[in-house]
Amino acid sequence: MAKPNAKEIAPAAAGRGTAAEIFRQVQAAIEENRGQAGALIPVLQRAQTLIGYLPLPVLQTISRDLNIPLSTVYGVTTFYSFFTMVPRGKHIISTCMGTSCYVRGGERILNTLQKELSIEPGETTKDGVFSLEMVRCLGCCGLAPVVSIEEKVYRRMSPTKIKEVLSSYA
Amino acid sequence: MAKRLSSVDDLNKLRETAQSELAERAKNIEVKVHLGTCGIAGGAKFVQDAFVKEVKSRKLTNVVITEAACIGPCEREPVVTVVHPRMGRVIYAEVTPEQVPNIVEQHLIKGQVVKEWLLDLESPTFKLQHIRIMHNQDINPQSIDEYIARDGYQALAKAITKMQPQEVIDEVTKAGLRGRGGAGFPTGTKWGFVRRAVGDEKFVVCNGDEGDPGAYMNRAVLEGNPHSIIEGMAIGAYAIGNVRRGYAYIRAEYPLAIQTFNNALAQARQLGLLGKNILGTNFEFDLSVFPGAGAFVCGEETALLASIEGKRGNPRQRPPFPANKGLLDKPTTLNNVETWSNVPQIIHKGAAWFASAGSERCRGTKTFCLVGKINNSGLIEVPLSTPLGQIVFDIGGGIPDSKKFKAVQIGGPSGGCIPIGHLNTPVDYEAVTALGAIMGSGGLIVMDENNCMVDVAKFFLQFTRDESCGKCTPCRAGIPKMLEILNKITQGKGTMEDLAVLSELAEMVGSASLCGLGQTAPNPVLSTLRHFRDEYEAHIIDKHCPAAVCQPLFKAPCQHTCPVELDCPGYVALIKEGKYAEAYKLIRQRLPFPMSVGRVCDHPCEVKCRRAQVDESISIRDLKRMAADYAYEHGVEFVPPMKPKKQERVAIIGAGPAGLTAAYELAREGYNVTVFEALPVAGGMMAVAIPEYRLPKKVLKAEIDSILKLGVELKLNTRVNDVDSLLKEGYKAVFISCGAHKGDKMGIPGEDVEGVYDAIDYLRELSLGKKPKVGKRVAVVGGGNSAIDAARSAVRQGAEDVHILYRRERRDMPAIDEEIEAAENEGIHIDCLVAPTKVLSENGKVTGLECVRMELKGFDSSGRRTPSPLAGPEYTYPLAVDTVIEAIGQRPDTSFIKDGVKVAKGGTITADPRTLATDKPGVFAGGDAVTGPKTVIWAVAAGQRAATSIKRYLQGKPLSIFVERDGYEPIAVPQIAPTEEEVKERARVQPAEIESKERKASYKEIVLSFRPNEAREEASRCLRCDLEVGGEE
Repeated sequence: MAKPNAKEIAPAAAGRGTAAEIFRQVQAAIEENRGQAGALIPVLQRAQTLIGYLPLPVLQTISRDLNIPLSTVYGVTTFYSFFTMVPRGKHIISTCMGTSCYVRGGERILNTLQKELSIEPGETTKDGVFSLEMVRCLGCCGLAPVVSIEEKVYRRMSPTKIKEVLSSYA
Repeated sequence: MAKRLSSVDDLNKLRETAQSELAERAKNIEVKVHLGTCGIAGGAKFVQDAFVKEVKSRKLTNVVITEAACIGPCEREPVVTVVHPRMGRVIYAEVTPEQVPNIVEQHLIKGQVVKEWLLDLESPTFKLQHIRIMHNQDINPQSIDEYIARDGYQALAKAITKMQPQEVIDEVTKAGLRGRGGAGFPTGTKWGFVRRAVGDEKFVVCNGDEGDPGAYMNRAVLEGNPHSIIEGMAIGAYAIGNVRRGYAYIRAEYPLAIQTFNNALAQARQLGLLGKNILGTNFEFDLSVFPGAGAFVCGEETALLASIEGKRGNPRQRPPFPANKGLLDKPTTLNNVETWSNVPQIIHKGAAWFASAGSERCRGTKTFCLVGKINNSGLIEVPLSTPLGQIVFDIGGGIPDSKKFKAVQIGGPSGGCIPIGHLNTPVDYEAVTALGAIMGSGGLIVMDENNCMVDVAKFFLQFTRDESCGKCTPCRAGIPKMLEILNKITQGKGTMEDLAVLSELAEMVGSASLCGLGQTAPNPVLSTLRHFRDEYEAHIIDKHCPAAVCQPLFKAPCQHTCPVELDCPGYVALIKEGKYAEAYKLIRQRLPFPMSVGRVCDHPCEVKCRRAQVDESISIRDLKRMAADYAYEHGVEFVPPMKPKKQERVAIIGAGPAGLTAAYELAREGYNVTVFEALPVAGGMMAVAIPEYRLPKKVLKAEIDSILKLGVELKLNTRVNDVDSLLKEGYKAVFISCGAHKGDKMGIPGEDVEGVYDAIDYLRELSLGKKPKVGKRVAVVGGGNSAIDAARSAVRQGAEDVHILYRRERRDMPAIDEEIEAAENEGIHIDCLVAPTKVLSENGKVTGLECVRMELKGFDSSGRRTPSPLAGPEYTYPLAVDTVIEAIGQRPDTSFIKDGVKVAKGGTITADPRTLATDKPGVFAGGDAVTGPKTVIWAVAAGQRAATSIKRYLQGKPLSIFVERDGYEPIAVPQIAPTEEEVKERARVQPAEIESKERKASYKEIVLSFRPNEAREEASRCLRCDLEVGGEE
């Protein structure tokens, strides 16, 4: 097992620890899961939690150490919507576009966010503070329409209320 | 800490200990804060902190604060259960930290519940539920001891020590448990396949990838009752044999569920309930969580197993089925969360117990998520085969804001919609499939009149398109093609050929796709096409979205919904600027009767008004009235542009709003119009049915005069006996707009005596000044506007005791809400669930009505419950009255229609709904005479259609479905968007009314016009939806 260059793993967001520390934790995740049938997905999940996204050098490391072809690793990474190869903002705003939220006006909230932040779903604001995502159903349909920012779930949102929520993160 | 259980004895001892601990605890007051995901989102943790703080500061030693899981009423979160050793259990809803000191003071210390904040556990919402799966939601999910105290793991103990594996399978089969993930396959049978499969390593897997938008039942069980799933899987592993490992695939979007489940696993392992030699037997089994990574398709069996193997979630061909070749090519059973959760109770309490709920072919209970446009949205549990209407109306509490129910989407993106005519459908696998939907995992999304079903189908296709794995062509390429067509339709560019192609594509994608995602993706389309084809056709043919949702088809929903497409935002904006005269002129370009319509319209525009999402809808009708009244008082004249005179003569039968509007438009076109009216006055229902205190005759006359001024010939007291003779006399076209003035009779014995009137006859006599005789005690039978008009008129004639008898419930009454309220304010009794069965009389004069009380049974095709008389003498009673007015319905008098024009069975004239053409060339019909009783504004719209059709007919042009309104000068409308201040919540301005003591004593108009400053204030609430740029993909 060749020891990858620490330069290969570049943490995007500040405050996530030094490159060496992160590299160590990714290696630990690989070791923990090595030999198990579905090892790749838990390893990718750990790596993304540590780094915030999955840059190509990380995928290459994982491919090499788990002995899985890079094309397969790439295929799995791009298949699942939770994985991203592009850095995301400090706060990820997930607008629920599930049926109940949609029926109760979820689209208008998404439009408001797009206008306020000047980004489309899937993009990040220039200052790296907010990323906007559309999520299909957070499972809180009784509170529709719902927006979640990290683990906080905001319920019964409206175009006016979501603006207030945004300003509380400023 | 926790000692490993090495025998069933150990388990029983632990149960005893846990039970006595709980019993000790129950000697205190238990405050259980429900901390599901939604509760926490609602602030339940802050509420918990507040309780801890308050109890500490009040130094209470007899209160124990614990946490519990989600119990279902999501709309009312945060909820807190309080169990008092002597007073029992109550549940507080929508609790805030500010309320906590109050609850502690009143309830915990003084022993008095705070009634206003409680959930009504006696209401149908709770009483109709049957809790089995959710039975542990009120204990702490982080405590295995509490689970064991409630007989947790007893079923596992019983299975592995007292039953043979095949016996376990037989019990599950006997119980009739069917897969709760959606397909409903018998669980015992599936386990049997896996047991018989060849292999010494097998797997049990739990499908916790609940991806259907709108469904979160599994999340509640994962978060709230994780041990039931663990126990179920262990039992399954034992029954199948050779199973040592299991996986619980839980979607990543449920972080709390993953955390709680992992905690539960750790606790179970610690006690030795997972691992080797469980409870001292040879049975070995362990289980781990595999988190999903955000792919809906991984809810599909083979895709899920591929995901656990670390691959892309692509489904594969079956056979081979996972029962033979599943995870890692080993025999595997994959079952849904709720299926697993049912297993322990089946083994512990027996198959017969399980089958005691539900129906023969669909046994047991099911959790459902009742969400969308519903009052009591949340998680519920009911026996399978409960009628859908009961779930929506009795448990769910019906539709918010008194909107009309439209459909329930069941089965998520794989499912279909069930419309209003099928509310009696029992919710079970077969019945739902027969209607073109599937039961799916249990998401029930309620939709109302403001949801567009074409848009809903589009929404679901967008979802399945995004989530398609891409492996097979029918799904990958077929779904986007279908979506393309739906986009065309919602943008107003669709054709009828598109519908044919859409159906064909749907069939193809459904039958040729590799996995369930593609196979069921067309279901929402097929289902909406089947039940709501008229909505598709409205989008295609009329470029109209009945729900006013598809933005490319219109600017403002109010204008789009108005039958004459009145420029509501335009005139409201003009009123806001104080330009009342211009507002009046703008209105007159589409509506010849603004003063009348502004008083009596049932305002479908206001139902769609988007301001209602902020506070309340705009008073669009009252603002129209204000502008029209202002113009009248200030002598503002509206001179419509006229075309040069033509030769042709047109005859119109009936001088009601439809006839007069047609006359107006045709006169403008230059035609010579003669209106024939059988009565001594013009105006139709406006003149002879709507009472003076709602629409003063003076006002109506002024508006009719302005129409006649254009040169329309009006022949009063002239009844037409034969349409053909008019054509022979030289009229080139005829418009039949004779309305529906013949009242339906009740058909009960004794009806034909003195003092029994038909409401329309009664109101007409009154309007014509004939003073029909009305006694002191009056009964009016019916619930529509005519019934209310008759009752309130009777009051003004001196009746002292007036009863309106209606056979359904108040909320089912078709009359306008404001009118019903006004009647009640005038002392009129509204007796609901009552119907007369016999008219009692003496010497040929009515003395009373024999009445029977009604109960409401199943739903009819209009979505209302069918009233049925209660049997038994205690339910009948005599009502002493001296006058009876029947207001149960009207139909047209078509006795003058001889040949050529078809009359339908119900007595209405048959005409094309868009062109108003009848079978006879040159003869057109519209208004109440064709549709049955409707409202004035629909009649006006019919008049405009008739004018367009007649004009084109006379000019030899093909008929058009679109109304033509030529020749008007455009009036500039202010293009200023509302300010931040104006958008803020404020109350709707209410128009003034005359003194209450003046009302009943006279026929004086009750509601006054807005004063100018009131009008400007109300108009400033308008959000100017017409200024929004309609963005569409």
